[in-house]
Amino acid sequence: MFAARPVQAVESTSRPWSGSDLAGIQEDEMPLHFKSFRTRLLVLFLGLLAIVQIAAFLIVNTATTNSARRQIDSALVTTAESFRELLKERTGSLLVAARLLSGDFAFKKAYSTHEHETILSALNNHRHRIGADMMFLVGMDEVTIADTLHPDQHGNAFPYSDLITTAEENEYGEAATVQLVDGRPVQMVVVPLLTPTPDAWICVGFNIDNRMAQGLKEISNSEISFVARTNRGRWMSAASTLPEQDIPDLKTALERNVWQANASTIFSQSGEHYVSLVVPLEKSANQVLAVLQRSLDLALAPSRQLSLVLAGLFALGIFLSALAAIAIARRVTQPVLTLVKGAHRVRDGDFEHPVAINQQDELGELANSFNTMMTGLAERDRVRDLLGKVVSMEIADELLSKDIELGGEEREVTILFSDVRNFTKMCENRSPQEVLSILNAYLTRVSSVIESQGGVVDKFIGDAVMSLFGAPLSHADDASRALRTATGMCAALKALNREFREQGKPELSIGIGINTAVVVAGNMGSQTRLNYTVIGDGVNLASRLEGLTKYYGVPVVVSADTRSAAPEFLYRELDLVCVKGKTAPVTIYQPVVCDPGEESETIAEIEEHHLCLRFYRDRNWDAAIEGFTALAGKHPEDHLYQLYLKRLEQLRASPPPADWEGVFTFSEK
Amino acid sequence: MRWPRFSFAVVAVFLADTGAAANVQVKVVDHKGEPLQYAVIALNYSGASGKAGRPDRRAMDQIDKEFVPHVLVVEKGTPVYFPNKDDIRHHVYSFSKPKEFELPLYKGTPAKPVVFDKTGEVKLGCNIHDWMLGYIYVVDTPYFAVTDASGKAVVANVPAGTATVTLWHPRMNEKSEKTDRKLSLTVDQTASLNYQIKVRKEYRVRRAPRAGGRKY
Ligand SMILES: [Cu+2]
Repeated sequence: MFAARPVQAVESTSRPWSGSDLAGIQEDEMPLHFKSFRTRLLVLFLGLLAIVQIAAFLIVNTATTNSARRQIDSALVTTAESFRELLKERTGSLLVAARLLSGDFAFKKAYSTHEHETILSALNNHRHRIGADMMFLVGMDEVTIADTLHPDQHGNAFPYSDLITTAEENEYGEAATVQLVDGRPVQMVVVPLLTPTPDAWICVGFNIDNRMAQGLKEISNSEISFVARTNRGRWMSAASTLPEQDIPDLKTALERNVWQANASTIFSQSGEHYVSLVVPLEKSANQVLAVLQRSLDLALAPSRQLSLVLAGLFALGIFLSALAAIAIARRVTQPVLTLVKGAHRVRDGDFEHPVAINQQDELGELANSFNTMMTGLAERDRVRDLLGKVVSMEIADELLSKDIELGGEEREVTILFSDVRNFTKMCENRSPQEVLSILNAYLTRVSSVIESQGGVVDKFIGDAVMSLFGAPLSHADDASRALRTATGMCAALKALNREFREQGKPELSIGIGINTAVVVAGNMGSQTRLNYTVIGDGVNLASRLEGLTKYYGVPVVVSADTRSAAPEFLYRELDLVCVKGKTAPVTIYQPVVCDPGEESETIAEIEEHHLCLRFYRDRNWDAAIEGFTALAGKHPEDHLYQLYLKRLEQLRASPPPADWEGVFTFSEK
Repeated sequence: MRWPRFSFAVVAVFLADTGAAANVQVKVVDHKGEPLQYAVIALNYSGASGKAGRPDRRAMDQIDKEFVPHVLVVEKGTPVYFPNKDDIRHHVYSFSKPKEFELPLYKGTPAKPVVFDKTGEVKLGCNIHDWMLGYIYVVDTPYFAVTDASGKAVVANVPAGTATVTLWHPRMNEKSEKTDRKLSLTVDQTASLNYQIKVRKEYRVRRAPRAGGRKY
């Protein structure tokens, strides 16, 4: 059940664009990571592309704008030049018209009358002749003699004395400028009235008006506006070719004072951008200006078209890249998700289904490696299972955990040998299958007891079992474990025998020998075939002790070393023996299991027994015989007392040599 | 035919006073110290007007579309002829207070002279040649002279006694400039007078091509 969920999650994310499915998944964050990887890839792809595209777009846009701006700039400069030329020409023709009057004899005659009305009407007459908007006659003392704009005013100081001053500085006494007259810009020329020396100044003025602007526009192909600064510092438009609604914006732009004379600036008027060139019309202060303008937007219209095409290409590029990025992301994430699924299966112990990724790239390699690993793991699992059956699980793990090599280490181990008594005899008259069945049932029980105490079955030798406590894993109480195992085995056998009795099978009896000794533990055998085991004298002794059980009529025999390693048990000393192949005598004991409530009685009997053994070793035959006889009377079924009584009878009959120390020597196994 | 008679008349003026007379030398410079041509110096004696009788006739020629001389000084009451030496017509006029007149387009010498009977400056122009400019300066004394290009002039053979010396120049401002001087002259004395006066700027007038020479 646990395994099913991640797999389900993986499957749901493997469908592209299933964000809602993802929202339901909380346990496993892996799919979310992959999702964000895909998103990251997408973002990275599109981000890079967008940067490149935007940069290209901006560069092209800036370039075209700059180029258009440059073109307009240079066109405006040319326009300004021709504009000035036009103004100069116009001034020239105005001067010519004025000069005609300065030499006009009839006017001189009229002037010589000094009659204001006459002079004024002669001035007006001439004004009509040349189409001027205003004329003034000014005395050399700069007093107005006649003024066609203000017919009733004369004798006042001439208001545009700057003009006269300029004329006085000229060698012909002539001047031309643009002058604000009653707040409106007027192109004005002044010439002397020659009678025949200069006797008065004739000023002729032409309004700068829309007609003039329109005429100039036709020649220069630019919008032209004439603006003048009023007394209050505001700009007013005197004439303009611009549409009416553009005029306020033009004034605002001028008032912002961002422009420079004869340099181009961008003015925004009614949302349209104009490259503007401001040409001052006077010599001194910038009171009257001509503003030449060309629409930047109009000039940019073709490049706007290009921008649109570029923008379209940009969008298309983003779209295609998004598709490509998704495809690539899927190509990467799909196999990874498959691998994740595989990894989950492995985690749950399923080594049977390899991941299927048919790619020739690194991910394909990874999948292959993954499958190889999976096969390896499956192989190991199989080996481990098998090994666990052949050897014990602990040894199997020990073997699998490190490199298997020949050699061992010295360690203290408690070795337990058990054997079925009279097994060969039991095999007679029975089929091999029956024998094997009995044996397997017995060994299964016994093995289970050994393993339950942390012991390791080293090997089965027919009906015999050799088991180890302290190798390959050691515990602080290995000897005690062995003793508990021995007790457990006896109990298990008792239970088994009950079953056998019911099944009509023969009952078994076993002998167990236990010894604790420092032995060599490790892998032994050849390079190609080896097994983990222990070797040493201590192992042999355990086997010998097992062999002694039948002789002493006890189920378990332990060595003195085992006894001192597990002192918490109750022991009955059996004998001091010299076993075959060993010169040093060994004290052997029987571990005693008391029935509840009989402890003190049992302990007293064991002490009585030990006292008898001392009499025996002190050659006090009579005392020993008396003691053993008493014990045997109390426990007639205990073979040990009979054994000692028999041995004592013989010793009393033929006493041993003087160096006898009570050691009983076994000459055979 | 008229030219020799005119010359004779000038000589006669100088001969009349030889003997018991003094001389007055003048030098006129402008405010920059440059010699000033066409300055008119005149000596006025109080009481007797000096000489009796009508002054002789004088002439203001037009040669190569210019007035010659540029400045002509005449005694009050002098009739002046305007002989046209060019082969085109001229139209001489004056709008000046002492004598306003007009000699409409003419060739040769108009039969009637123009009599200048008021003192003062008379500017002469020609209606068809804007650049033509001449001056007739009318004085109430026979003792006068006009400075030459070096700014010098000599009034010779003037009577001894106290005279008021007046100075005039076409471009001076008579109203602001106080140039009158009293001068006591003894017989045979040669008095020297130096003047420095301010003059107005002179404006140029465009002259039709094919004609060189003077500015005016
Ligand atoms: Cu003329």
